[in-house]
Amino acid sequence: MGRHDRYDAIIAGAGHNGLTTACYLAKAGLKVLVVEKNDWIGGAAVSRSLHPGWTYSNCSYVCSLLRREIVRDLELPRFGLQVIPYEGGATFTSDGDYFAYYSDHDALRREIARHEPRDVDAYDRFSQTVMRQCRFIRPFLLRTAPDPVRMRPRDISELAYLVRKVHGLGAREIGETLRFWTMSIGDFLDEHFENDLIKAHLAGSGIIGTGLGVYSPGSAYVLLHHYMGDVDGTIGAWGFARGGMGSISRALGLAFEEAGGTIVTGSGIDKFLTRGGKVTGVALENGDTYEAPVVASNMDVKRTFLKHTDRDDLPGDFLRAVERFKIRGSSGKLNIALDRLPEFPAAPAGAPFLRGDMHCSTSLAELERAYDDWKDGRWSQSPYFDMLIPSQIDPTMAPPGSHMMTVFVQYAPYDLEVDGVRDAANWTEERRRAFADCVLDKMSAACPDIKERVQHVEIRSPLELETEVGLTEGNIFQGELTFDQLLFNRPVPGYADYRSPIRGLYLVGSSAHPGGGVMAAPGANAAREILIDLGRRSGLPAEAA
Amino acid sequence: MEQFDAIVIGAGHNGLTAAAVLAGKGKRVLVLERSTSLGGMMATGTLNGVQLPRLAHLLYNLNPVVVRDLGLKLDAKPVPTVALSEDGRHVVMDGAEVRFADGTAHPDAAAFVTLYQRLVRFGTLLGQLAQAAPPDLSGSLSLAQAGELGALARLGLRLRLMGKAEMREFLRIVLSNAQDLILDELADGPLAGALAADAVRGAWAGPSAPGTVFSLIYRLAQGGGAALPSGGMDAVVSAFVKAAEARGATIRTGAAVQRIVVEGDRVTGVELADGSRVSSAMVLSTAGAAQSMMLAGHGSYDIEAVRRLRNFRTKGTAAKVNLVLSGAPKFSGLSREQASGRLLIARSVRAVERAFNPVKYGEASKAPVIEAVVPTLTVPDASGKHVVSAVVQYVPYAPDGGWTDTARQTVIDQVVAALDRFAPGLAAMVTASELLTPADIESETGAPGGHWHHGEMSFDQLLSVRPANGLAHYGFGPAGLYLAGAAAHPGGDVTGAPGRNAALKALKEMAA
Repeated sequence: MGRHDRYDAIIAGAGHNGLTTACYLAKAGLKVLVVEKNDWIGGAAVSRSLHPGWTYSNCSYVCSLLRREIVRDLELPRFGLQVIPYEGGATFTSDGDYFAYYSDHDALRREIARHEPRDVDAYDRFSQTVMRQCRFIRPFLLRTAPDPVRMRPRDISELAYLVRKVHGLGAREIGETLRFWTMSIGDFLDEHFENDLIKAHLAGSGIIGTGLGVYSPGSAYVLLHHYMGDVDGTIGAWGFARGGMGSISRALGLAFEEAGGTIVTGSGIDKFLTRGGKVTGVALENGDTYEAPVVASNMDVKRTFLKHTDRDDLPGDFLRAVERFKIRGSSGKLNIALDRLPEFPAAPAGAPFLRGDMHCSTSLAELERAYDDWKDGRWSQSPYFDMLIPSQIDPTMAPPGSHMMTVFVQYAPYDLEVDGVRDAANWTEERRRAFADCVLDKMSAACPDIKERVQHVEIRSPLELETEVGLTEGNIFQGELTFDQLLFNRPVPGYADYRSPIRGLYLVGSSAHPGGGVMAAPGANAAREILIDLGRRSGLPAEAA
Repeated sequence: MEQFDAIVIGAGHNGLTAAAVLAGKGKRVLVLERSTSLGGMMATGTLNGVQLPRLAHLLYNLNPVVVRDLGLKLDAKPVPTVALSEDGRHVVMDGAEVRFADGTAHPDAAAFVTLYQRLVRFGTLLGQLAQAAPPDLSGSLSLAQAGELGALARLGLRLRLMGKAEMREFLRIVLSNAQDLILDELADGPLAGALAADAVRGAWAGPSAPGTVFSLIYRLAQGGGAALPSGGMDAVVSAFVKAAEARGATIRTGAAVQRIVVEGDRVTGVELADGSRVSSAMVLSTAGAAQSMMLAGHGSYDIEAVRRLRNFRTKGTAAKVNLVLSGAPKFSGLSREQASGRLLIARSVRAVERAFNPVKYGEASKAPVIEAVVPTLTVPDASGKHVVSAVVQYVPYAPDGGWTDTARQTVIDQVVAALDRFAPGLAAMVTASELLTPADIESETGAPGGHWHHGEMSFDQLLSVRPANGLAHYGFGPAGLYLAGAAAHPGGDVTGAPGRNAALKALKEMAA
């Protein structure tokens, strides 16, 4: 048995959201236990050393969305969190050119003009629209979504807040918002830009992590999930967590422990224990049991309720809604140890964009075809990827002179189709390698010597993401970010307030509003709701009933 | 110069409806139609001496308010929908009843009916939004002057009155994709495929695209049943024409408008292709959105409006194949009654999605989704010949390499071969065939991009932003100009609703 067998609250899963909930609860004076199935904490925000001398951010790899309110509340910098912004990025063409994205506005305008003079002003219109949408949505991230059906006093006040905010936009901007939220990133870019390469560069943010194509309505909204963050107040900027994404989890873990919390690793949840419709604790796979009147699951909604909860404890409608929750894996990852920096013949020496996000998809049609492959159960024959070499900025990631490269790849299906059968078991070692080769081949257009530089590569298909991190089907957002699963519909209608049909059992991961990304907002919001139920305060926004 | 109170450009169902509404209020109305036939997309054509529906061949969604206001007398026979299956187990959907064609029970019948009836309920609810201008988002929040925002509030209330579970379901699915909605309830196959095909009819979208549930609901606003008008689409056209003429509207064919005359900030009339002018303080255009703007001259619009209208998506994907057969086709496994219904070739939801893929890259589907009707099985042609009228999806507006004769013949051959699989011997009976590609449809009817709805019916182009943000309330640029076609709210299908709503708006402003 553990050190204690009774706690005020137990958190199942030490992902960044679970740890965030744990911190807020511990700081409010509760005795909190976090249990984690892996031997390490962090979920998908981890730094792992899988090849001697190199550190991989082997799942999530860059940071921007982490809410600054939370960073401040939990004093994460005091626990070693340091986010270093990176500047720019590029998309390489197969004929030796590139489109570079610079955070310096004038440099960016010159680069756009080099490709298409007409797109220079278009970019300003584009970024103004995106920025307005970001500013509109940011205040909602740390609020609980109202339930428009139940209309309890709290729902009415949150709905009123929403209506006021929307109405405050004015008729023109409401129309724009309505369009933006429902249109595709491809159409949105087509409206603004002429140049295909520029469009392709900007389109990636609309599809990363989703089961949508660039021409699927709703993908413009997904763009916001990659633009609404900030680094040191610069909205839309991205950065590296020094020491890898695990530094975020480590800081959260240290903050939690300083607040008196306990973390137990190495054994996952077997079952959420209940009595009379109320949660009473958890039983671990190793046989340990812990009791607590409050249990918060950092696992996704499917795993929480379909794998670790007694079906008899749940209403049929709820179960059915959870069963049909869409959580399709669509991406893979390569983490690569490089002996030295690969050559990028197209780029001028020391180009700043080499330290940013780099891609090789040069048109919207190419991206859409990549999606068509995925729909049919294949990994994209010409995949989109987001590759970065963080060791250029953060030397802790690789031995001196050597480098670490992180390559996020889309699309890769969870249930790979082979001979007409779709099954995750089709991800054999051989196919994983073929998948990696497909990515490296395409990457050779940008850095022809990439294959010679590779010392070690960790290949992650959606299946590894599921088995290791526990994300069902390997969906990085713990559920698709489409409207049927956003706001009051997330994770399922009627349960968007982090509570569940079982009293005392809460959902605190990205399956809950506002969804995925290393944002920590679901975890913080859930903590606020838990503390409201306990009659305590969290200090987070939107606390008043 | 001739003078009228109002000029309507285009004698399609929307133009004729607008004319009838205006004339009904005592206005002197002139309808100007570019082509020599009336009815626009409802027009009847002739192939090899046999009459056939040139484009539209069924009625779905005719707005009951339009029927009432115009006093339309239409005799239309509801027809069953038959989802053709490769294995011969065709599925017949007749109203809310679903069975295999041989009368045996379909395993998914109950699930289908539950889903379908729910969608029809939602459709009826949303259909109420179609009967007026879209909500004006500039309404004040104070209750005293809630204005048109009240329409949204009333919708919310009616939704709430359906019960908590229904309201939740509505809010969950309304912006969702048809594929997930259908496959959450039904096994994939012809029945599921039929529903998916209806969700994307005429659209530049596959069933996996978010927003396709909304298009499906929209199609079901009047109960969802398809009806074959006795007397063909010709009878429908006549009914509309009669309604307009009986109220005193003048209709002229072969009268192409080349310019809407704007003086200062006001419309003063139109100029025809022959250079003659007709004067009127009010012009209602049923041409496409960008086309209407160009008729008035883009100088009458601010740069933002011009940009928005140019970006209004009108990529047509539905082609029409018409065939004349020497005899009656015999569909294996179908009775004559069933074969005279709406025949769908959409093997599965997945097949519909796959059919969509190529059109994104300028290619036609190799296994297209087909909606076919054999109207001569219901109303025989005097010659004893039969016709097949088929809507074919997906076919691009401008394929790579252009619409060569080979490219055209390939599409026709594919359709004939697909039909022949279900009606053996059909191919040998074909005596004449024609293909109307989206490009042909555009040049013939003026529908931009050949898009059946004059513009994609995706959520970002509907309601208060159709055709563009700031131009959604029929008033269209210069004072006195109104957009009255399918490019305006509530959009496409033979509904008459945009024409009616635009005319009412024009009357209101005329009175003010």
